[in-house]
Amino acid sequence: MTPIVAADHLSKWYGQVIGLNDVSVSVPPGITGLLGPNGAGKSTFMKLITGQLKPSKGAINVLGEPIWNNPGLFFRVGFCPEQDSFYERMTGLEWVTALVRLNGVSDAEAAAMAARAIEAVELTEAAGKKIGAYSKGMRQRIKMAQAIAHQPDLLILDEPLSGMDPIMRRKSIRMIKDWGRAGKSIIVSSHILHEIESMTANILLINQGRILAEGNVHQIRDLIDEHPHTVYIKADETRALAREFLAHDDVLSLKFEEDAVIVQTGRPDAFYARLTELAATGAVGAIHEVTSPDDNLQAVFQYLVKS
Amino acid sequence: MSKSPPVLSSAMRVFDLSLGQMLWSRRSVFLGVLLGGPVVLATALRVISELYTSGFHINGAMAGGATIFGMMIWLLYIRFIIPVLGVFYGTALIADEVEDKTITYLFTRPIPRRTVLLGKYFAYLACTTLLVLPSVVLVYFLTVPIGGGSIGAAFPSLVKDLGMIVVGLASYGAVFALVGTRLKRPLVAGLVFAFGWEPAVLLFPGYLKRLTVGYYLQALVTHEMPQDSAVSLLLQVFREVPGVLASLFWLALITAATLWLAGQSVEQREYVLEQ
Repeated sequence: MTPIVAADHLSKWYGQVIGLNDVSVSVPPGITGLLGPNGAGKSTFMKLITGQLKPSKGAINVLGEPIWNNPGLFFRVGFCPEQDSFYERMTGLEWVTALVRLNGVSDAEAAAMAARAIEAVELTEAAGKKIGAYSKGMRQRIKMAQAIAHQPDLLILDEPLSGMDPIMRRKSIRMIKDWGRAGKSIIVSSHILHEIESMTANILLINQGRILAEGNVHQIRDLIDEHPHTVYIKADETRALAREFLAHDDVLSLKFEEDAVIVQTGRPDAFYARLTELAATGAVGAIHEVTSPDDNLQAVFQYLVKS
Repeated sequence: MSKSPPVLSSAMRVFDLSLGQMLWSRRSVFLGVLLGGPVVLATALRVISELYTSGFHINGAMAGGATIFGMMIWLLYIRFIIPVLGVFYGTALIADEVEDKTITYLFTRPIPRRTVLLGKYFAYLACTTLLVLPSVVLVYFLTVPIGGGSIGAAFPSLVKDLGMIVVGLASYGAVFALVGTRLKRPLVAGLVFAFGWEPAVLLFPGYLKRLTVGYYLQALVTHEMPQDSAVSLLLQVFREVPGVLASLFWLALITAATLWLAGQSVEQREYVLEQ
């Protein structure tokens, strides 16, 4: 099977700092999760496979072609970057339409493609609002809309679920899986194993600029269960939420911040499932944002490298 | 290698995307205020002329409205405002997108990177022309009637001046776009070029002045300046210039060459965004 991304002794360094170190990897078609803690080299790898950076050494091919200085390849590639940056004064529809127009389609076609993509990420009602007025979750979704609007063969998503509320997070995971089932190849990066595992079993583990493991990495699941997982939840009624959490023995600790509660859990799977149910019923008020700090994986990776 | 859409059509789509952002930016508001300066000055001159005198003397020579307008065009617009606009917008064409972290959206579309620069350059040209035009026209209507000048008779010179301003914006914008893509501190380098290097070498005879935009723009100035004064002598030195056609040729060459080099730079450069 032809790999969608093939790296051959790929290295990237920034002056004295090594971002990626002699990586050789073939990413098969389908959904692949790129998993690694903060500073592992995920961002460098994502930038190299989207042609934003030029390899210092080695080669990288995407869909069988070198990606650096090959803009034509972006007819077949869609990219949803991590950074939360937009033309804030534009509406969601205007922004996605303007970006799709850069693919060379007519104005009417671009508007129709943008509208379809916005509908796919369930943002149609807010399509006419200025992006500056969007919530974090809506901003994530409009970024995904611009990446899928031209119906690319390969979708590259950098931390796409960051900041989404539990319900939208679940919907987005379902959406990504649907795209995978529809024959698209997807590379999705995250520092949260739970997120990646809910989308695919095919994982690339990256740490300190090297690929540690690739394929179906089941043993990571056991490791993650042994280490507490921290979740930051921004909600209207944090005290009521905390009361619900404390009724379950997987919650190890709780800490309150302004409009948010930080939870440590020993069983992230069970915790996220319960959180999504709570958000869906609305029993404890609105839950606006769920994030997980980068250091969750660090302990697991340190353990993995030592063992 | 996959094919991408034609350069000009891609550049025009980037232009569409960028013009609105540029027009309503804080930079445009600030420079819009700056462009109000000549209008305030012209208003003051007109009020003074209406209330107290029928004309102005500059170093003993009578200066009519058309002369005052010509001096304002040269000294305020061509020598100051146009380079300022060129420096502030030209050096920021790509830098703004990098700073706002929106460059990724443009560089991951099927268009050559140079078309992003080209589209944004066209947007700069349209944006700055839209900013300068009302200011110059207002100054024209306020100053030309001073001392009994005729608005209708001087109208062709207004058209020429507007053309010269657009040529100046195009040339300075391209030069500073190159500065913006090549240097780490483009704003400082641009200001030094516009207000250090250019005025300095223009004062001295020799070939160095050919390495300025101002030298070629002088040839396009059509206004007569007041004579028999230190200012007029200085202006005479300034006016050691090539012919109009030669100047237009060199300005076009400077614009095309610097834009091409800036495009090359954008194609090859890696833009690492802070997370």
